[in-house]
This record gives sequence, structure tokens and C-alpha cells, in this order.
Amino acid sequence: MKVNSGCKPDKGKKPPMAEKAKKHLSKYGIVYLFLIPVMVQFIIFYLIPIIFSFVLTFTDWSIVGTPKFNGLSNWKRLFNDAIAWKSIKNTVKFSIYYIVPTMALGLFLAVMIFAQKKKVGTFFKGIFFLPVVTSFVVISGIWKWIFMGSEQGIINQVLTFLGLNTQLFLASSKQALLVLASLSVFKVVGSTMIYYFAGLNGISEEVYEAAKIDGAGKWRIFSRITFPLLTPIHFYVAIVTTIGSFQIFDSAFLLTNGGPNFSTNTIVFYMYKQGFSSLRFGYASVLAYVLFVIILLLSLIQKKVIREDLD
Amino acid sequence: MESKKTSLISIVLLTILAILFLTPFIIMIIGSMIKMKIPVGNPFTWIQKDLSLFNFNFIIKNSEYLTWIKNSLVITIIPTALQMFFALVLGYIFSKKQFKGRNLIFWIMMAVIMVPSQILIIPRYIMFNKIGWINSYIPLILPRVWDIMGVFFVKQFMLQLPKELEEAAYIDGANDFHILFGIMAPLSKSVIATVGTFAFITCWNDFLTPLIFTTSKEMYPITVGLASLLTKEGNFGIEMAGAVFSFIPTFLMFLFFQKYFTRGIAFTGIK
Repeated sequence: MKVNSGCKPDKGKKPPMAEKAKKHLSKYGIVYLFLIPVMVQFIIFYLIPIIFSFVLTFTDWSIVGTPKFNGLSNWKRLFNDAIAWKSIKNTVKFSIYYIVPTMALGLFLAVMIFAQKKKVGTFFKGIFFLPVVTSFVVISGIWKWIFMGSEQGIINQVLTFLGLNTQLFLASSKQALLVLASLSVFKVVGSTMIYYFAGLNGISEEVYEAAKIDGAGKWRIFSRITFPLLTPIHFYVAIVTTIGSFQIFDSAFLLTNGGPNFSTNTIVFYMYKQGFSSLRFGYASVLAYVLFVIILLLSLIQKKVIREDLD
Repeated sequence: MESKKTSLISIVLLTILAILFLTPFIIMIIGSMIKMKIPVGNPFTWIQKDLSLFNFNFIIKNSEYLTWIKNSLVITIIPTALQMFFALVLGYIFSKKQFKGRNLIFWIMMAVIMVPSQILIIPRYIMFNKIGWINSYIPLILPRVWDIMGVFFVKQFMLQLPKELEEAAYIDGANDFHILFGIMAPLSKSVIATVGTFAFITCWNDFLTPLIFTTSKEMYPITVGLASLLTKEGNFGIEMAGAVFSFIPTFLMFLFFQKYFTRGIAFTGIK
């Protein structure tokens, strides 16, 4: 516009240009005003860090001094680092401990609540949803005392009272990961329940009516009709919970500090330790990318299946 | 008859599970009011002990609790308000304005959901460290002024609104700002409330980000502050009182906005 008016001073053309610009602004002003700052923020805080993080995986840098490129040595290190593999193994184990109970209990609660009157259902939904809005730090603070491995632990006191053996819980390399999984089940099952509840709402009454006319019992209706019709929800919940479980950090940091004997050393916990305790930003970025690849694959599966489901 | 019996069974089962789910919270609340370093004896006997606010007084006097609450409020309320605002404006732009590259921009932004936030922490840390913003509010606010899920919610919501709404207003000479704030905003109240409740809970409960970006006690939000109380030897009463402090705001949010939470979760589940 400027070039045009500069080279060819044309009085007749200017007003329509200005008019056009004004019209353009009145139509797209809001886009310029708000979308552009957000895009700049997006580039600075999302796109650049994602790329920067990848570059970091090829460097040796501990915040002080200049970053040194060291080629693939961080990646090679990953393959020889037994603790890194243990952290991946622990995270997968944690997912297994956590996903099936969360889904089963979430579905159970949804089905039970769905059968209630609306008011009663809302009341129960509220109770099971309460942990979802409570922070991991608060719940970890309570879990610490409930599952304390000494005689002072609350469950151990109950066990002693009942004349049973006390357990090591958080102090045991066999049980600690299970205790963390129980914390996550408690925290997350309320949202799983809501997903299932929405799914149950989506099944039309007629399907049930038809089954009832055929004389099908409750269990039969559930196993032959409700459960299969919830397949998209099963899938969605499975992926969402798996993605969440791979990012487990707070409880491992607060309750066990990765121990005992690295048994609760998860991917994100190890990344945190490598990055912010040992100041190995390059290697920590490799671990972050391992997490990224796992989550990306899960998300892609989810996208694909959900799309097929919609078609 | 048959259905009455099963409904009774389901109520009983639900009640048992509900009690089980409430037990940790009851332990927290009763524990917070008892002067007890270690939870001795069975929890039911605690209530018979003297209840007092000793622990609350103690942490207010002996720690930076009030500062931590203030910090949490700052790093929660500012991002929440901005996320609600940007969800409204960007939801409108992405659903109602036609321009080149609109969908491309939206889907690139959407794709970032697949990137775990942990991957962004190290590069952001290096960035903020270079500028000298570590241990300030900025790293906890600036990256969170908008959120793509909120934008997505509002976009989907506005797509369902009839086109005639804006068209009539355009003919009357209204501009985007009139339409957005005069017509769309009041209609979107409940979806914006959903965005707000999620933003509030996410920011208030976040632990890893402030753990990394705050380095001195006076800058801790309540999650990191509470974590600093959970020491190895520990003090049961004090820790539970700290937990209660951190729990109250989220509990209030939950009490008043429960339906927005469930609506939001159900929405992500279906779409």
C-alpha cells in the first residue's frame, strides 16, 4: 500500500484505499488485536521450547558456561543407563497398577449412580469427585500418614489392633509403587466416573426397553448391551488415564523421593533429578523426549480411533 | 420388587465406598485440630480429645503460610481471569471470523496438547534464567495466560449458536466488540465458567512448575510451601492443618461450581 502510493501519487485512489483499510480493520481488527499477541506468546512459550528442547538433547550443558555440542552421547547414555530403563519400567508398572482399577471402579460407580434418582446421584457424584479437585500435595500429605511404614502409620495401627502383621508400605521397594498407584486411583477415579456417566447418558432408553421385552436380566443387559456400547468411552478413558499415568511425579517426589531402591523412580521424577539436581539439562531433555514419544504415540492412537468412531 | 432390592444394595454399596472416600479427608480435618505429633491410637478416639485451632495458629505464626496463600492467589487468579477472557475472544475468532490460515493456526495450537508439559520446563527454565525472571511470578503467569482447551470449548459452543444472531447485529451496524461482549459473552457464561473452574484448579494445585521456578520461601505458592512442611520426621497435626489451608479454596470452588466441572469433563469425553 505504501509503495503504491509513494510511487504513484494518485489523489483519486487514496480515499478508497483508506476506506478499504478501514473496512478491513473493522472486520479483522479483533483478529489482529488478540490473535497476534497470543500467537507470539505461543511461539515463545511453546514452539521455541519444543525445538530448543530437542537441540538440548545434543548438548552438554549445566546452565553455567556455554553449551557444548556432544552429538549423540546423551542418547547413547540413555541406552546404557540402567536407572533410566528402570524408570521407564517403573512407569509402565505404575500404569498397569493404576489403569485397570481406575477404569473398573469408575465404571462401577457410574453404573451404580446412574441407577439412582437425580438428587441422590448428584450427591454421590460430588463425594467421589472431591479428590479430583484436591491437589496431589494435599492427598500425598494424608497418604504419608495413612501408609507410613512404621508402627505409627494409621493402617499399621489398625492392623496391630486387629492382631495382624504391620506392613512396610512406603518403606518397601515392593509395596511403595502400589501405594502411589492407590493414591492416583483415589485422586482420578472421580473423573473416570464422569466420563462413563456421560457415556451412559448417551445410550438411548429404547435399547434397554427392547432388551427388557426380550426378558434379559440386569447382568445380561449390562454385559451384552451397556458394556459393549461404552467401547468408545473405554478407549478414551484408557488413553487419557495412560497419558496421565506416564506423567506421574508429585507423589513420587513427595512420598518416596524415588525410593526405596529406585522402586518409585518414574520417568518424570528421573528427568527432574537429572535436570534440576544434577543439572544435566541435555540428558534430562532426552528423558523428556522419551516421555514425549510415548505420549505422542498414545495420542495418535486415540485420534485415529476416535476419528474412526465418529465416521 | 426385584428392582427395589437391587436399588437398596446399590445405595448401601455406594454409601460404603463414599465413607471410604471421605475417610482421608476426615483424617485430615480432625488431625488438623488435634495437637499431636504422631497419630496415636485409632482415629475414632481422636475426636474425644480436645479439638483446638492450635496447629493453625502455629503455622500462621511460624511459617510463611499467609505469604504462600497470597502467592497462590496471585498465580491462580491472574491466569484464570486471562484464560477466561482469551477463551472467549479466541473462541469467537476461531468460530465466527473467516480469514486465511485460521484452521491451520488452530490445529497447530491444538496439536501442542500432545506435547507433555514436562518437555517445556527445561527450555523455559533456561529462558527465564537468562532474563533473570526465576523466583518471580512471571514464569508462573506468562506461559499460562491462555489455554487451548478453553478456546476449544468456547469455539465448539459458539459454533452451535445460530448465525442469525451476528448477522442481524451486523446489519444493525454492530461491530465485533459489540457482538462479542454484548451478545456472545452473556450466552457463553456457563462455558466460560467451566473454563474458569478448570483454570483455577489447575493453577492452584500445580506443583512441578512452581517447584522449579521458585527458589526462596517467600515466593512459594501453597503447594510447594506445604511440601516443605512434609519433612521426614514430620508433625501430623501441623501437616494436616497445612493441608486444610491448601484444600479450602479448591473445596469452595468445587462446592459452588461442581456442575461446571462435571460438564467440562463430560464435554472433553464426548467431543
